[in-house]
Amino acid sequence: MKTPEPTACHEMEALLPAYVEHSLPAAEAERVAAHLPTCPGCQLQVTQLRALSDDLDAALPEVPRTALRANFIAMLEQQKAQLKPEATFAAPPAPPEAKVVSMWPTALANNWLRIAASIVLIAAGVLLGRNLHWGAQPPADLAANTRPAHAELAQALTGSNGNTVSASDRIQLVTNSSRQNEPGDPTVQVLINTLNFDPNPNVRLAACEALYRLRDDSRVREALVHSLPIQTDPNVQITLIDMLVSMRVRRAVPQLERLAKRPDALPVVRAQAEAGIGKLI
Amino acid sequence: MAAVKADDLDQLVPLFERYHGPLFNYLTRLTNDRETSEDLTQTVFERILKYRSSYQPTQPFKAWVYQMARNVHADHWHRKEKLRAADVDEVERTGGLRGAAFSQMRVSNHHDDLHEALALLPTPQREILVLNRFQGFGYEEIGKLLGCTAEAARVKAHRALQALRKIYFAN
Repeated sequence: MKTPEPTACHEMEALLPAYVEHSLPAAEAERVAAHLPTCPGCQLQVTQLRALSDDLDAALPEVPRTALRANFIAMLEQQKAQLKPEATFAAPPAPPEAKVVSMWPTALANNWLRIAASIVLIAAGVLLGRNLHWGAQPPADLAANTRPAHAELAQALTGSNGNTVSASDRIQLVTNSSRQNEPGDPTVQVLINTLNFDPNPNVRLAACEALYRLRDDSRVREALVHSLPIQTDPNVQITLIDMLVSMRVRRAVPQLERLAKRPDALPVVRAQAEAGIGKLI
Repeated sequence: MAAVKADDLDQLVPLFERYHGPLFNYLTRLTNDRETSEDLTQTVFERILKYRSSYQPTQPFKAWVYQMARNVHADHWHRKEKLRAADVDEVERTGGLRGAAFSQMRVSNHHDDLHEALALLPTPQREILVLNRFQGFGYEEIGKLLGCTAEAARVKAHRALQALRKIYFAN
């Protein structure tokens, strides 16, 4: 009879994957080969393992959306900007101070000049920031006035200040941003960037809604139209279509026509785009 | 990577081009969620930049970056567990469920039987198969990544394959 069968098969189960892979030592491979003809159960296992192996080899990789690359590039640019903070952030108040530095005798070591310059720049930045209300030059004043709010928002949204901000926090930030600000300020640009590049569709939706509240700004209509081909999430696509229709943006018609024909858009999105065209024309 | 460590950040671009696809795949198989995986892949590259000074040039970049991806996934998993216990209201208010319904649908469109079977495996087993079958890791590399010997990695991979076979051919 087949008395050793259950234990033998149990032992085989551990060996069979390696047997199928041809990675079994010769002695053990022979043992498996000797066992197989007597055991339909193990034979079935081998066929299944081979089929499974083939299917695993044939499996197609998941391809990320291009948004991933865009986000990465954006993140990289921000990191690069942080590497040279004096070049990007303290640059605006630089001109008057730069003259002072250049008056020093050239005999001073170059390095010392650089260090001194950066200290002066940082000090100038702090001073400008503190004395906003009685600044002499209105343009510098304006820049200093608006920069922190929207720069901070941008920084917080992209997590470039070192902390990764969760999606729900980003939504909170985006939602609050349009409450605090008047139309016409740089926050709009930050929101547009968020709408186009934030990895999370819910954050993009919130940015959509925030922009809609700031729709008096001339850039908003343009941005919503241009965002249409970028978005791949059906929620965001539908929201954008609704907003463009309710704001009666005629210019959106060509983009809507393209979206209505996009093979990768969901049928419901294409139908919405079609309906939108009908209302706009 | 040595150039990136020396603050030449542009040198990260070729590394991104080479690894972001495989990393995204790895994370998608672990999480079964494309959107989350995009976020997590981005986080991996953020951490590469953040911790670039800790990179040892003697260490293979691949091993280093996958170790980081594992940690990112582990963090994500813990956060998700915590969130599950936290208030559902928050998620509902921010429209999380709205988006989740759509993204779930998209994922399931992509899925065939094999991926469904893979998704039913316990995460450690799934991970080892994904590394071995989809990411081209040898048992030696897997052993290093998981902190066990190559032989142990091989045994684990074979057990995982058998487990997958049972699910895959269950009906």
